[in-house]
Amino acid sequence: MANERLRALEDVEKEIATILQCAGNIVLELSKDKHNASLLDRQLVQFQGSVNRVESELSGQIRYLTQVATGQPHEGSTYSARKDCQMALNRAEYAKVKLGELGRTCEPVTIFY
Amino acid sequence: MANQRVLPQSKESLLQNYNKRLKDDIRSILDNFTEIIKTAKIEEETQVARATQAEQDHYEMHVRAANIREFVLADQLVRAGESLMKLVSDLKQFLILNDFPSVNDAISLQNQQLRSLQEECDKKLTSLRDEIAIDLYELEEEYYSSRYK
Repeated sequence: MANERLRALEDVEKEIATILQCAGNIVLELSKDKHNASLLDRQLVQFQGSVNRVESELSGQIRYLTQVATGQPHEGSTYSARKDCQMALNRAEYAKVKLGELGRTCEPVTIFY
Repeated sequence: MANQRVLPQSKESLLQNYNKRLKDDIRSILDNFTEIIKTAKIEEETQVARATQAEQDHYEMHVRAANIREFVLADQLVRAGESLMKLVSDLKQFLILNDFPSVNDAISLQNQQLRSLQEECDKKLTSLRDEIAIDLYELEEEYYSSRYK
């Protein structure tokens, strides 16, 4: 859920870049002697759409944060589960080392005459 | 369940500030863009307007002023875009620190993954122990019934 909201904000950043790009393209087209009306229309529609999307998305995010923010720091932690998992991996590693020693002990000894 | 919650003053004022910045930046973008387009409008020449030298100088001054104004408007438009990007960055930071439902979900998921890994590890060690115990029993039986004990 957190990733989706962060991804949405990244999309908003791309939309802001699109807004500036569309504005630049429109001004560039208007600077020419002969304007391409269809290009101007497309760019203008894209510009307006991007501005509306940016405004609505950011308003939505701020509204959501107003509802969920408590002002307190979060005190949750994964420390205990992480520690237990680390100890289990240590046990597995220790068993592997001991089995390795046992295997070397049981290898047939080659006698050279 | 009441959706209104009493936030600490700093958080509430921060969120209000975000709202204000958003509205100001969007308004700035739209206003500056509209003004740029208006400035670029060319008046049509009529039969009455015949340019004399003074009128030409006056027109040139007007065009230069319009160009400068356009630069200023374009600069303001870009600054409004940059300000919006900064706002998005601030919102991302605020979200990471204060979106408790997401943080709780992330912690639960992480705990679940770590515990399942730990259980799988211990389960495999236990089955390994049982297999080795069986082999050890057979080896002991062989050894203690031989002449090398």
